[in-house]
Amino acid sequence: MSTPNRLNRWVLPMALLLTLPMSSLLAQSKLSIDKVYSAYLRNSGSILEKGQIKGYFFLYQSDKIDRHTNEYTLQILDENLNKVQSIKFEDSKKLSLLESAYNGNSLSFLFKNEDDKTLDMKVYDFDGKLKYSYSRQFDKRTDELMKQYETLHTDEGMNKNVFDLGDNGYVSVLPMRDGKQRTYEVDYYSSETKKQWTYVPQDDEEKYAFAEYLGCTDSLIILEVMKKNHAMSGAVSSHLVGINFVTKKKQFDIDGVNEQYTLVPSGVEPMEGTGNLMIVGSFFDKSDNIMKDFSKGLAVYEMTTSGKVLTKTYNTWAGDFARYLPTNNKGKIDNVGYLYIHKVIRTPDHKLFIVGEGYKRQADAVGIGLTALSVLGGGGSAGVTKIVITDLVIMEFNDKYKVTNATIFDKTKNTALTGSASDYNSQHLIANYLKMIGAFDYDFTTGEADNSNFAVCYSDWERSSSYHGQTFNAIHYNGKKFSTDKIELKSKASFLRVFPAKSGSIMILEYFKKDKRLDFRLEKLG
Amino acid sequence: MVSCLWARAQGNGEFTPAAEDSALLTGLSNSYQQQYRDESNRLPSLNKKDYQKVYADRWKSIKEVFDEQEIYTSRYAQAYLDAIVGEIVKDNPVVQHHDFHCYFSRSYIPNAAYIGEGVILFNMGLFSRLTDESQAAFVLCHEISHYLLQHQEKGIDKYVTAINSPEVQAQLRKIKGSEYRKLDQLQQLVKGLAFDSRRHSRDHESEADSMAVVLMRRTPFALSGAATTLALLDSIDKNAFDVEGCLQQTFNAGDYPFRKKWLAREDGLLGGHARLKRDEMADSLKTHPDCALRIRLIGPLVGMGAMGAGTGGSVSAGRGGRTFVVDSLKFRSLQEMFRYEVIEYAYASDEYTQSLFLSLELLHRRPEDVYGVAQVGRVLNGLYRAQKEHTLSKVADLPSPDNPANYNALLQFVQNLYLEDLASINYYFLRAYHPRLDNYTLFKKAYEESAKSVR
Repeated sequence: MSTPNRLNRWVLPMALLLTLPMSSLLAQSKLSIDKVYSAYLRNSGSILEKGQIKGYFFLYQSDKIDRHTNEYTLQILDENLNKVQSIKFEDSKKLSLLESAYNGNSLSFLFKNEDDKTLDMKVYDFDGKLKYSYSRQFDKRTDELMKQYETLHTDEGMNKNVFDLGDNGYVSVLPMRDGKQRTYEVDYYSSETKKQWTYVPQDDEEKYAFAEYLGCTDSLIILEVMKKNHAMSGAVSSHLVGINFVTKKKQFDIDGVNEQYTLVPSGVEPMEGTGNLMIVGSFFDKSDNIMKDFSKGLAVYEMTTSGKVLTKTYNTWAGDFARYLPTNNKGKIDNVGYLYIHKVIRTPDHKLFIVGEGYKRQADAVGIGLTALSVLGGGGSAGVTKIVITDLVIMEFNDKYKVTNATIFDKTKNTALTGSASDYNSQHLIANYLKMIGAFDYDFTTGEADNSNFAVCYSDWERSSSYHGQTFNAIHYNGKKFSTDKIELKSKASFLRVFPAKSGSIMILEYFKKDKRLDFRLEKLG
Repeated sequence: MVSCLWARAQGNGEFTPAAEDSALLTGLSNSYQQQYRDESNRLPSLNKKDYQKVYADRWKSIKEVFDEQEIYTSRYAQAYLDAIVGEIVKDNPVVQHHDFHCYFSRSYIPNAAYIGEGVILFNMGLFSRLTDESQAAFVLCHEISHYLLQHQEKGIDKYVTAINSPEVQAQLRKIKGSEYRKLDQLQQLVKGLAFDSRRHSRDHESEADSMAVVLMRRTPFALSGAATTLALLDSIDKNAFDVEGCLQQTFNAGDYPFRKKWLAREDGLLGGHARLKRDEMADSLKTHPDCALRIRLIGPLVGMGAMGAGTGGSVSAGRGGRTFVVDSLKFRSLQEMFRYEVIEYAYASDEYTQSLFLSLELLHRRPEDVYGVAQVGRVLNGLYRAQKEHTLSKVADLPSPDNPANYNALLQFVQNLYLEDLASINYYFLRAYHPRLDNYTLFKKAYEESAKSVR
């Protein structure tokens, strides 16, 4: 009855290709297995279903078959770190596994094959049998963009390109570049029948567009698309795009041209019971430049799946939020600064929670001094300000989407950006840059699928008489109230990281460099 | 005598675990360590380091049994076990003058084992499931046979010899020199060695069964105990305890009613409850032959012909010998005590979820058992503390496809609880027995601790 699955201890490198002794069976003989054979970890990651962690994958190079081919073993662990499937296959030497998703009936893996220049989506059943394999070409320029995307910081352990569409299959949203044009393509992969198609945007404006997956319904893939219209002096416009994966056509493209305000969506949630969608985002005056100007506040739209907007609710920084937070009309909160929106959470009782993190510009004494010296010396500027990451703010809205409360959760302020980049005057660009370089302390949100319980997790640094070091923190909402939890991360390990795990839990990974040992365990949040 | 040892016999149901004799355990451990060192120095000179490595690993496992206080040091229990062993030794000259020792292990796992250095462990989890002393005698005879036939030592010798054989070394050199398909070649080699090793292991079990019958035949114990034990072992892992029903019934307080979502689970591949297909090689790699086959093999030896081939506890007692030789009252009293000791030891060895499973099972059978009530509260307090300190993984198992379904249901329940649920479930469960059980210290402590966590 007892199980050894409390702690998984593998001698594995995560990124470095260190050796993995397959077995210690013959460890002490004159010539032993660990002296003649090693497996190499190529990639590892989470398996997600509807944004929830359902398991983990580890791709090993388990053998060499010939000059061009390797044998790989894809090890699949369930949400409790049990090994549940091991899939062996042969493929190109230059293979990497980008992302994985799960839809309750099958598992999908998106591979990048550098030899054939293909992206291969493989869909497996639970017995490890390959159901369908889809392949599409990629060129060097697409690859460069993909690499660039790989370096961007998103919420730890979360997918960037591959998502499940429930029982229907999977979707990948890939950035593309063609000359000066930057666009995107959406690939649909069926898991029920052998069926795949690609959506290629046809609008002129979409020749310079960035797309981000926001969510899906039983027939729609919903994207936030930022388009740059050269005919309109290069202004950037924000669009909510719905692609119907049944009809294979774009169902709606909401750009807010005829609206009072411009909405920049940051989250979409299907609304149970009505079949409608709820869109949340920052809103701007029509005349504002969304890349440079300050937003007026946060808006919530209800719309049908055909794209008809039913209701619009606006909460302004200067009016609505000022009742709960010390804000000015530019959305700047005293001692907190501006907010970057990380997460939108809708609970079963129709409340809405929006998680933001503060960042603000401060005078940089060192920068001022250096700038003065360099000016005197005829040199350039070292930057006279710095960007500081501040507190976490959780805002609560009622079922009419009006803000009803806001709480500031204190954390240690840290400098995220110095030098001339911090003097840049677009708050929006600075925030996106901070997100890109992973400067925010917010890590991820974990919780039940219906959000009746959720925990907002972030990293912090503590300097107190009892503890000095990094901490991992969670703000837990139990459906009624918030409570906080903290884990002190000091450890004997060479490095320790915390990853999202199944609902209510986190995965703690410790790497012991001397032993080349990797321990990982699940812990429930307190 | 019995009532002195265990307060439950006085009728109040208050179990107090026997205190472990640390000095005795340390003394025994030191003595076996010396024996191991002497043995290690006497190992064959050829491939000595390989032998020593395996013996060192074996000693490490033996030492843990003493360090973790798995050995049950109650003099009363040990005297009883010695008496059964004495009956076996007394009439078997072949066993006399051999330096082996049998101990009760406080493990809940229904098993017994010869672990090396002459140490035989008889788990409480097995003893408490037996019907009579003849079955206990067969279990001991089986393990003594492993010791007498030197199965472990022969297995080690075979392994070290095989690994160092010119053939295996040549194959390893060939594999090392290969650039391609190393794993394939290695798997073939390992598979061959593993098949051979596991086949010998199965042969060893059958040999130990046969010799156990030979040993038993000379004792006053009923020979039928051999077949009935094997029949029992065949079904011993089957446990029909309805955990979900028990949880709903036990933790359904008026002020904090049971919530269905505490039992929610995912049945797909990744939820921890998947039914995985058995590996095609699993049968070939089994270390023990099927019990049905073992019964068939010993049938003629115990005078049962082919009639003993059935399993599931249907084997008849047969002729000759007595089912109880030493003391049936002590046998029963120890069985009763062991049902509690295994719960206590699971808790003491940080197997909280296992201790909870056994406690709930006890409460299910005896709803008013005060130790059962107090222990459920104690374990839930422990789980609460561990979750709060983010060390739950050290004391709670996770759902796994390898677990029995009912144990998995309990593990899922623990995983589904938020900290405040855990505290409230426990508090309202214990409050139903307060102040009725306040005189029982274990209960009082558990109740007071749970009350603090809901404040």
